[in-house]
Amino acid sequence: MRLIWDELGKALPLIFHGNPQLLAVIWFTLQVAGVATAAACVIGLPIGLALGLGRFRGRNVCRALANASLALPPVLVGVFLFVLFSPPAPLGFMHLIYTRRVVFIAQTILALPYVVALSAAAVQALPPGLLSQARLLGAGRLQLWALALREARIGVIAAVIAALGTSLSEVAAVTILGGNIYGYNQTLASATLYEVGGGYYADAVAIAIVLIAMILVLMGGLGVLQQQGNGIRMRFRSAA
Amino acid sequence: MIDPSPLLRCEHLTVRRGRREVIRDVSAEFRAGEIVALLGPNGAGKSTLLDALAGALPAAGGRVERHGRVAIALQSPDLARRSVLSNVVLALAWWGVPRSERATRAREALRAIAAEHLAARPAATLSGGERRRVHLARAIAVRPDVLLLDEPFAGLDAEVRASLLEDALSALRSSARATLVVVHDRAEAWALADRLLIMLDGRLVASGPPRELLERPPSVEVARFLGFDGMLDDGREVVLTRPVHVVLDARGPLAGRVARAIPLEDGVRLELELDQGRLYTVASLPAPQPGEPVRVRLDGGVRFPAPHRAEAVERQFPAGNLGTP
Repeated sequence: MRLIWDELGKALPLIFHGNPQLLAVIWFTLQVAGVATAAACVIGLPIGLALGLGRFRGRNVCRALANASLALPPVLVGVFLFVLFSPPAPLGFMHLIYTRRVVFIAQTILALPYVVALSAAAVQALPPGLLSQARLLGAGRLQLWALALREARIGVIAAVIAALGTSLSEVAAVTILGGNIYGYNQTLASATLYEVGGGYYADAVAIAIVLIAMILVLMGGLGVLQQQGNGIRMRFRSAA
Repeated sequence: MIDPSPLLRCEHLTVRRGRREVIRDVSAEFRAGEIVALLGPNGAGKSTLLDALAGALPAAGGRVERHGRVAIALQSPDLARRSVLSNVVLALAWWGVPRSERATRAREALRAIAAEHLAARPAATLSGGERRRVHLARAIAVRPDVLLLDEPFAGLDAEVRASLLEDALSALRSSARATLVVVHDRAEAWALADRLLIMLDGRLVASGPPRELLERPPSVEVARFLGFDGMLDDGREVVLTRPVHVVLDARGPLAGRVARAIPLEDGVRLELELDQGRLYTVASLPAPQPGEPVRVRLDGGVRFPAPHRAEAVERQFPAGNLGTP
């Protein structure tokens, strides 16, 4: 217990004295989380909508695969991408290993299943009459998708929260692919691992505190947004 | 004046759901200015016919001709999580109405169905009856050439249904539009329709003005469906009656006894056993008790010649439960 207090005591000044190294890691982490979540949404939401609303053959198999991908171990993704991007491999010519770009790619790939599976489940849970009625009144595909996204916004925001969460906290794939290089492509999570590995516990605690604070602020913000989407129901319930 | 050319016509229409043939050889046409009620028991294929007429289901046989745009209001009144007015405006956007006209048209439709006071309310806070009202307003607002309504009064209690029916009656009447309403309750059909279609087991078995069909049902099965629950069979012909046709009269020509008595709000529904069959009537209080002999006369009813033997008819077209007035 004393050790924890000692390390905490050393960590707090590191945070509040504006350590430039720490600020650089925070900034890179925010960039990675933002870009990976946004990219996962851009790619994943149309796939999720197609899985949730589509009537094509094999959609149930696709939905099962999307759900299964939620359990994909990040370390396996890291190894698979490493093999794919390593110099002699088919995509080796892209020279991505141990770069910053590969960290963005890895986090996007890890965030994607959350967006796909959770948004598909959210739109699937909508009252079927609502979308059928829209279709029968002439709504086009984009109008249907917009309606589904808006109506399923609570579930869709949950998907974004899950994607952002994994982008902020995942460490295995980032370390394997990016090399966890000090001062270059470390995220807060991978930097914590790095400091612990080097025995710099105070630094690790400082980074962990910042990471937790960041998670609380970002997730809290999204949580408020989600509850606003549910505002009508909440007011209705409390009035009843 | 009724436009002579039909806005919607189907000829020998057959529709399958999976391998099952749900609609069989249905031909019908719908003209501007008329309201047609489609009546039938559960599972008769009414909603499937509506889907096929709207183009939501492909025809396995026959053809559907549409002259103008067809809108359908599904049975389930699912609304988007936004205000009532926004829901109607959204429907107009789907329909392709220019943005500048949407709000005005949405308000007009809400007013027509006496729901203008709901305009600002979030849809999630509406009662079942209010949701149905908004659902109907949405369908009216798009001003289709043909409007198909699938059980617009389903799941409402008697009071709310009567109020909505009253408002729908004027809102649905349009000289430019053909309206086909699927109804489950005969009273709704009498209140709304110029013409009645009766569907049994995927086939259209009768078509005509409601009063005419009630006075002269074309077949035993249609008569049974229209509430002719009493039946007398003298071997040569079958007489089918509705409760209103059977009058308790001490000097009546027919003798029987009371088999069962079910109390109603304004009297008693009696099941009478006679030598030639069974009749149902509604008597005012005080009414005869079960087992008591009675004499009756018939003020109406319809007659069908043999070969409709009573047992066969009863087996094929069972009368409604005694508790169903």
